[in-house]
Amino acid sequence: MVMSSHSSFTVKTKTRAEIKLASEERIKNMGESAARPGDRRCLKDIEPRLFSDDGRPEQGGVVELYGPEGTGKTELLYHLICRCVLPKSAGGLELDVMFVDTDYSLDMFRLVSILDSRLNKALPKSSPSAGSDEEALLRSCLSRLLVVHCSSSAQLLLTLHFLENSFSSRPSLELLLIDSISAFYWLDRCEGGPSFSKQEEKLSKCSDLLSRLLRDYRITVFATCHSIRRVQTGLSSSASLSYSSDSDRSYLCRSWQRLVTHRLMCFRQEAANNTSDEAGSSIQQRIQQVFRVHCISSFSSSGSKPYKTNSFYVTDAGVEFTSV
Amino acid sequence: MVFLRADMCPGLDSDLVRDLRAADVKTVEDLVSSNLEDLAHRCSVSYKALYAIRRVLLAQHSAFPVSGADLYEELLSSTAIISTGNPSLDKLLDSGLYTGEITELSGGPGSGKSQVCFGVAVHVSLQLKQNVIYVDTTGGLSASRLLQMLRAQTCNVEEQMEALQRIRVCRLFDIFALLHCLHTLCSDSSSSSSVEGGAVAAAVAAGGGGVEGVSLQQASVSGGSVKAVIVDSVSAVISPLLGGNHTEAMSLMIQVAGILRTMAKDFNVAVLVTNHVTRNTSSSRSCGTDVQPGLGVSWSHIPRTRVLLERVEEAGTGIQPSVRSATLIKSSRQPCFLREEFDLRFWSQTKTSTSGKRKREESDS
Repeated sequence: MVMSSHSSFTVKTKTRAEIKLASEERIKNMGESAARPGDRRCLKDIEPRLFSDDGRPEQGGVVELYGPEGTGKTELLYHLICRCVLPKSAGGLELDVMFVDTDYSLDMFRLVSILDSRLNKALPKSSPSAGSDEEALLRSCLSRLLVVHCSSSAQLLLTLHFLENSFSSRPSLELLLIDSISAFYWLDRCEGGPSFSKQEEKLSKCSDLLSRLLRDYRITVFATCHSIRRVQTGLSSSASLSYSSDSDRSYLCRSWQRLVTHRLMCFRQEAANNTSDEAGSSIQQRIQQVFRVHCISSFSSSGSKPYKTNSFYVTDAGVEFTSV
Repeated sequence: MVFLRADMCPGLDSDLVRDLRAADVKTVEDLVSSNLEDLAHRCSVSYKALYAIRRVLLAQHSAFPVSGADLYEELLSSTAIISTGNPSLDKLLDSGLYTGEITELSGGPGSGKSQVCFGVAVHVSLQLKQNVIYVDTTGGLSASRLLQMLRAQTCNVEEQMEALQRIRVCRLFDIFALLHCLHTLCSDSSSSSSVEGGAVAAAVAAGGGGVEGVSLQQASVSGGSVKAVIVDSVSAVISPLLGGNHTEAMSLMIQVAGILRTMAKDFNVAVLVTNHVTRNTSSSRSCGTDVQPGLGVSWSHIPRTRVLLERVEEAGTGIQPSVRSATLIKSSRQPCFLREEFDLRFWSQTKTSTSGKRKREESDS
């Protein structure tokens, strides 16, 4: 038995429903002047350092970020959000992003501080009185981000249906982030009882719907997936070849697995004391945590399965890749 | 899963619900994902009517996207950082416990988890004058220890009693009681009928009692608001399940996590939970220590901030009985593996030092 936590808020939701219907109209009106959804640009260049040259995500691609806790999955999502919502003058793509937060893991303050430092880096202060401009610029970046919280897989399914309106009416909304797609895995497993197809019903319905949205609106999806077993990662770099070990195989339903075009496996590397090789620079003395991310694309133009590995560390300004 | 009922939205009458049921459309999800043209034909209603129903039901039951700018604005005005009262811990946690988040303390027996919880509870109730919900699942809450901490900070008996009143205790020992307690806390005040207020501290001293049936809203009404919910310990009720039916245990664990997160976010409280530790078996000594928080991988995604508490042993002087080290092992704000040492006696220090600190704070503000 699963007590749905939102059932106790029915009084609240009923009044909210009216607001939602009104805002649905508003969102529609916003996009009326804009072009048709077919005109969406390709997000191939969202982060070239993550993908191999012939294996970048096409329109309609689904990238799964897979890894245990504390391996930088959400941090990578912040990086992607920043890349999309920053203005072109600051090296961004000026696109809208929908963030589906099922884990309540979005730390808005962290995101704002990353955005802030990137804005500052890209647009050097022209005058001391530019403070309010910066504030306005930050707001305009943030308004390109839409956040929605879900607390059950049923709600996730309904919300994806609801979001179809947003996708059809806002052509600049090209990226859908889901953090995380596996949040309700155990709840669904238990709720479904002994029948396996019943256990996977919700997520496969979500996947089917997503696949239709991907086809119709040419959006790109990045979704995180938690590992559910303790991964025995060899920490030495020599063990880096054992990526597709048994414990890393996806455990989510088949229709989701079929959707996924790229898998980014996230690891935490042994903390490296890289103070010596950058001596004299402003690198702090503290131990720098290095994260490793390994990308496997399921198909490419050349037919082979391209892969790419990159490392990054996390600074106040977000993700910094160690190689290009 | 929401079943279709006759009174859910305009246009959905009992006849239509029956027809839909006959067409194997029982829940809102079924209706939303089905082909409406087909369904309209089978239930002999107009497509337009069905479409309108679908639209209203979707708006009622789906989550609502919020603009990032609005969300940030809302968070700026609502987020509070609750000091733990201990400067070293505050430094580690980037000035304290954040409302809307789950913070976890993990550590072995005697590593000071409960003592830190007591300290936080006392600090929030006495210094910040806010209410605290203390869910005690181990029977380890000692009212006399709370009083001892309070006496060290104020000698005014009235203040001490007021502070004790602000700490509401739920004493429970299994996961279903925990879920019930958390659901009650989250429910609307109108739905639960219970006694307002009540001297919980006295009840605890008498060895029983709790806050059965008090919702967070009600607890907030009676002077000050609830700013902190402490669950000490969350692993005590979850870990006994883990040996049994795996799926069920995981599901219950995620339910606890879900309601804690909803509570933290919707009611804007800081949630502090404690967890036990397990010894690392593999070579994955990523924490730099040989222990890691318990409850496994699925739980590890739940707290946003995790702190590992350990005893401190020094080579020369041997074990220092009251000094503990705290290591930050997960955080979205601070670099991980920051380490601070602090003294558990801090919260029960004599009044002179704390009042000095208070004076400093006053002069700062």
